[in-house]
Amino acid sequence: MKDLLKRSPDRPAIDPERRRLLLGASALPVAAGLGLGLHPHEAQAALKTSARIVIAGSGLAGLAAANRLARELDGAKITIVDRKEIHNYQPGYTLVATGVWPVGKVSDRNVDLIPPGVEWVREMVAEFDPEKNAVVTDGGRPIQYDFLIVATGLHMDFALIEGMDVAAIGRNGLASVYPSPQAAQATWQAMDAFRQKGGKALMTLPTTPLKCAGAPLKMTFMVVDRLVQAGTREKSQVSFHSALDNVFSVPRVNQEVLERWKKLDVPVHFLSKLVAVDIGARRATFASPEGERTGHDYDFIHVVPPMRAPDSVKNSPLSWKAGPFAAGGWLEVDKETLRHRRFPNVFGIGDINGTAKGKTAATVKKSTPLVVQNLIDVIAGREPTQRFDGYTSCPLLVREGAALLIEFDYENRLIPSLPAIDPLQDSYFAWVMKIRLLKPAYMAVAKGRV
Amino acid sequence: MYEIWLTLNILFELSLQYLPAVIGSLTLWLVLMTIAAARGGAAWRKALGPAIAIGIVVTAITFFVTPGMTQSSFANMGYWVDWGNLFLYAAAFGAVGAALAWPIVAMRRRT
Repeated sequence: MKDLLKRSPDRPAIDPERRRLLLGASALPVAAGLGLGLHPHEAQAALKTSARIVIAGSGLAGLAAANRLARELDGAKITIVDRKEIHNYQPGYTLVATGVWPVGKVSDRNVDLIPPGVEWVREMVAEFDPEKNAVVTDGGRPIQYDFLIVATGLHMDFALIEGMDVAAIGRNGLASVYPSPQAAQATWQAMDAFRQKGGKALMTLPTTPLKCAGAPLKMTFMVVDRLVQAGTREKSQVSFHSALDNVFSVPRVNQEVLERWKKLDVPVHFLSKLVAVDIGARRATFASPEGERTGHDYDFIHVVPPMRAPDSVKNSPLSWKAGPFAAGGWLEVDKETLRHRRFPNVFGIGDINGTAKGKTAATVKKSTPLVVQNLIDVIAGREPTQRFDGYTSCPLLVREGAALLIEFDYENRLIPSLPAIDPLQDSYFAWVMKIRLLKPAYMAVAKGRV
Repeated sequence: MYEIWLTLNILFELSLQYLPAVIGSLTLWLVLMTIAAARGGAAWRKALGPAIAIGIVVTAITFFVTPGMTQSSFANMGYWVDWGNLFLYAAAFGAVGAALAWPIVAMRRRT
């Protein structure tokens, strides 16, 4: 791979953290004065290389990586493979699904976010062949690469819930925030209709790793709040069925949420997995680990699908073949460098990674600069220098007008970005962050600036 | 320092969202400043006090209306971080109000 590199011999080695700090500081007065979108790395000479880099996926991770690589490499051939034309701001789905945002706020055009000079193949990767350094698209087109970034996102396995029909979301009290903006909007329609009359709500959580694992909790808090606002809480029951023995993987947050739900009269049924739903009859079936099935009628149900890697990754040599991430077919990356453990020219970012934490936009925000730097290190013939701590963030809506701003790492430590922030304190600031400030931050991430 | 860089980027992206309002405010301020400077005799120094007073009024109004305009309320103010951020947000609008008021007051109090 070293022959791909034509590097200036006198280019100084600068610690990336220090570089980021210095460039941020130097840009501050200019940006503050002019409000211009500056690129913190523009002053740095781009690394000359003829490397062919393929990025599978044009979600937040793929776009952020493409923008950074396009800026930091000179001469690289960067190709994004993804069919989707519309870029959806998925962290906004819970706001749409709870009636806080109109659906139009979560969709942007992908073409506006793909940097110039990057080839965009409007097909999906159907097959990864890392032994041959190639991917094959669903249109049958083979694309060779020197380096690969896997940022495909994940697959929602609604098919594992018997009787589930995504197209029926919004009717008969059926809700799910996850599949799409339209599903989020339909979920709000179902929730709005439910809160007018009240009744029995079932909230669910599967066993698998989830994107935005806080979303099922947010939906629960918000359905309670909407019932209170409508004056129908007294005649309603809201219960939570977790297929696990907790509702959130961070013990301190789990405890906090359970205490709050106890006060809100939301009973939790542990080890109770949603396995079937009869949409017309409004009846859900849950199973215990022993296989015992129990039926529950409902007026409103929030379905959270099991999630796994897309087939293209799951069935490829890139997926974990043993261990806790093998069943889902998640990408086998080192949890710190996010480099593939067996194919050193492959990196992963975002939901697809088989790591213990990190299927949120905040994870992408923190990990993409590290992965890009590690990839540049590898292109330059060095070992990866950056280490990811598993940073994840979840602005957890607790009612309309307040949220908790929870940030944590692989070790389940609560790590607020600013020391003043109390992660377990109901906060107006966290609410404003969620509804007003996080999308602008997200857009800056997608453009590779932060 | 990264947080400062992030904040600047958020402000930049926000300004893109509200570009007509940003451009309109900036244009209005430049026009007012140009008119005040061109007419001559503007009492810039004397106008500072009243402009700041107007800024304080705008800050106070913004402080009280903002929670409602952000689908929240004062009941959701959890701790000092909430109050501090609300104040900073209101003060930013107050600064804009003061900046717009300054040339107007300066023209009205010509020397």
